[in-house]
Amino acid sequence: MSIVRMAFRNFRANLRNYFSLIFSLAFTVLILLNFLNLIFTDAFVTMQEQNRGHVNMVVSAVSFVLCCFMFFFIWYSTNVFLTKRKKEIGIYVFMGLTNRRIGRLYMVETLMTGFAALMIGMIFGAATTNLFQMILGAVSEIDVRLSFRFAAEPLILTTGIFCGMYLLFAVKGYANIVRSSVLEMISASRQNEHVRIKPLILAAKTILGTAVLSAGYYAAVREGGMEVIQNLLLAVILVVAGIYLVFGGFIPLLFGLLADCKPFLYRKERALWINNVTFRMKKNYRTYAMTCVLMLCAVSALATGFAMKAQYENMVTYSNTYTFQLLGNEPGLLQEGAALIGQDNEIVYETQTPLLIVDSARFDTVYQQTSYAFLPYSSIKALAKDAGMEFTLPEPADDEIISVEKLYMMSFITDHSGRTVTCNGKTYREIAQTCVPYLGKLREQICLYLINDREYERLLPIGLELYTCNYKIADDSRFAKSLDALSALMEHNTEEHYTGVNGNDPNSDEIEWARVLYAVAVFMFLVFVLASGSVLFMKLYNDAFEEKERYAVLRKLGVSSIVLGRAVAMELCMAYVCPFLLMVISAWFSVHALEKLMTANLMPVYGVSVLIILSFSCLFYLSSVILYRRNAGICQKD
Amino acid sequence: MKKITNKMNQTKTASSNEVVSGSMSSITSGSGNETADRSSNKAVNSGADKETILEIRNLTKDYGAKGFRTQALKGIDLTILKNDFIAIMGPSGSGKTTLLNILSSIDKPTQGQVILDGKNIAGISNQELSKLRRDKIGFVFQDYNLLDTMTLQDNIALPLSLNGVPAKRCIERTFELGRMFGLEEHLSKYPYQLSGGQRQRGAVCRALITDPEILFADEPTGALDSKAGKELLRCFQMVNDRKQATILMVTHDAYAASWAKDVYILNDGTVKCRLSRGGDRREFYDRIIDVQASMGGDRA
Repeated sequence: MSIVRMAFRNFRANLRNYFSLIFSLAFTVLILLNFLNLIFTDAFVTMQEQNRGHVNMVVSAVSFVLCCFMFFFIWYSTNVFLTKRKKEIGIYVFMGLTNRRIGRLYMVETLMTGFAALMIGMIFGAATTNLFQMILGAVSEIDVRLSFRFAAEPLILTTGIFCGMYLLFAVKGYANIVRSSVLEMISASRQNEHVRIKPLILAAKTILGTAVLSAGYYAAVREGGMEVIQNLLLAVILVVAGIYLVFGGFIPLLFGLLADCKPFLYRKERALWINNVTFRMKKNYRTYAMTCVLMLCAVSALATGFAMKAQYENMVTYSNTYTFQLLGNEPGLLQEGAALIGQDNEIVYETQTPLLIVDSARFDTVYQQTSYAFLPYSSIKALAKDAGMEFTLPEPADDEIISVEKLYMMSFITDHSGRTVTCNGKTYREIAQTCVPYLGKLREQICLYLINDREYERLLPIGLELYTCNYKIADDSRFAKSLDALSALMEHNTEEHYTGVNGNDPNSDEIEWARVLYAVAVFMFLVFVLASGSVLFMKLYNDAFEEKERYAVLRKLGVSSIVLGRAVAMELCMAYVCPFLLMVISAWFSVHALEKLMTANLMPVYGVSVLIILSFSCLFYLSSVILYRRNAGICQKD
Repeated sequence: MKKITNKMNQTKTASSNEVVSGSMSSITSGSGNETADRSSNKAVNSGADKETILEIRNLTKDYGAKGFRTQALKGIDLTILKNDFIAIMGPSGSGKTTLLNILSSIDKPTQGQVILDGKNIAGISNQELSKLRRDKIGFVFQDYNLLDTMTLQDNIALPLSLNGVPAKRCIERTFELGRMFGLEEHLSKYPYQLSGGQRQRGAVCRALITDPEILFADEPTGALDSKAGKELLRCFQMVNDRKQATILMVTHDAYAASWAKDVYILNDGTVKCRLSRGGDRREFYDRIIDVQASMGGDRA
């Protein structure tokens, strides 16, 4: 019989066992195809070019993350597959097959599995692209153009990426088999994976892991300037390494101690499940760690998405604080502007404040291209009252300032303490920052500092005092009419009272891409949650087949299926609870770090995402228990 | 007094080996008045000294679909009394494993009764069967069947801990049995770290830890070398003598069978012969060999 035919027969016979592997791989193909399709089709053609560019950037970045995820997923699943198949196909040694031929048999069989996964992923992926785009559009509230045209590029690219990675691991498996001894092959799936390390070393590993993890947490939430980017990267590395170390040290140590403590162990079915967990410890702790990292990614992705959404809404509110802003050199321009706007629009509120423009050369700063201005405290307080904005800022002393900040989508500068501003030889200590849009979008053009009225008066000689008049209209759709009138005013500004006019189109969608990011983040959250569940599910699904013999012995000894069911439930519960608990702790720090970057309250998102993950984990757990009992042959009725 | 009869196959060999003294077990195969009469005789004689542990009546087991049926057991009667040490021998396909599986409640008979602890196990629910297996029966398998996920100590203690016995008692019993079977130093080892003999002795400890009414052993020396096999048989003899344990062992090995007090030879689903040891084990071994030879050489 030819190798291909033999491999095909094996593949067909073991299809049920391969189900979880094919399903998981097909899922990754489906996801990647959908994302790549977004880049190559004109789904977001209705967006502004700049937004489209941002969206493509986001989708490309996510696709890259998905590729990395696919890489690790294929690595993990083919490793599990290799161990399982090694023993079965190792029997062929006794039929006179060489390691090379057995390796080829494995490779052909693996490629068949990969091909099946690719085909299923492609077919379902192609079938769900429109649905995916519709959901993405609905979640992000963006007009997505749906077309049933399917670009060839995403298909080719997905196939190329998947095949490249899969082939790499198939060849790796081939090499592994060729180098394996007969004994290794036959005993591969029965190997005891007990971690044989002295408790003292395990304790040291646990302490080291905890230290690395704590350092990661610290790096994540540590406030700072531009070094925050480095800190975040460091935090990611330290947290992932810490999770692996903690699981590699603490879990074997804990279960080893529990297994050694006989008065604890010999209670009902504890001896069964604790020993079972210990037996597969090497594979167990790695899977726990991987699941924990994936869950952590899920929470972080959702928190980022919600933060983006909140920030997008904040920025829209910030931009739309005023519809029109006039800048002039005389007080009393407010009424003139109001009369002009009032011809076509109803004004909701109008505010006015002086501001002192100071030449950047007088500032001790490297940002000489930026415009700088001081605002008098009392005027801003009155302005806030007129516009109905909050104002809780303390009055600065003569050598103090309050920075009126621009709202950023994401700011890596999280430490604002100890900042000073030096102007005209005098150094002011920054005592607070505010993101309240007192001067609306004008802040995007000028750097604003709030000082007390005395200091403002003192600084008047060194700058140019201007007045800004701000108006908010009731009906945004009539924006253009007043803008035309104001532009005409500027054109006929013969006495040069007016130095500028700002018209903020309320319908502008220049940061619309942030909403796509939100939708993508929600989607990534689901992908990571499903991935974390399926990694555990796949492992437990396969373990169950290996436990079949053991449970048959226990049943012969008179252990009822109820007792065995309870032992299985506890064993599987540990598999889901351990990564979940560490994720809950780690995710708190991750979300806290994001809170600082995005200046948003993300704790409710943290709570919700943890609850969603818990619900998904419960579903996966219940399915695992049912299928495990079935696969291990312990669900027959007593 | 004990008797062995086989209504369908009362060969000369069988009758010439019939022993009238020794242990109190009785086995008959066949059906009709003769069997019933002999059973009632046995009951009168045996009831005086020892308690009946297991009793089977007219046990039949068929395999296969209608029209293609094979009868593995053809109406066997057997009474096992406390402290018996019985070996069941026979060639492949003679029905010995089927008999053991039915007696140990793993399989169900087509016809007949198996009475253990006063209950006919052929008629009780699976849940009750599980309880019976857990509380009243001990098993020793040819391939040990120790769980490779746990240490020898945990393997031995498992049946007790699953029964809800306090941990302290589980530990005490494990060490007690470990000492008795020379395994004290190996209790913390995993099965793969032990020799075949040590594993099988561990399996015996596990079977005995619940103080079962009867110990079933299926080819217990089958996977052992002669030295380890001898050690194991010595252990069986020791628990039979010292602990008054009741043992029923299935084996094809005449040497292993010679350690039992009584040997029953099965062929084609019926009992062909019963031998009782009486005195010297070597002499008993020779007798078994002789009977095997007279029954058809290597077939027995």
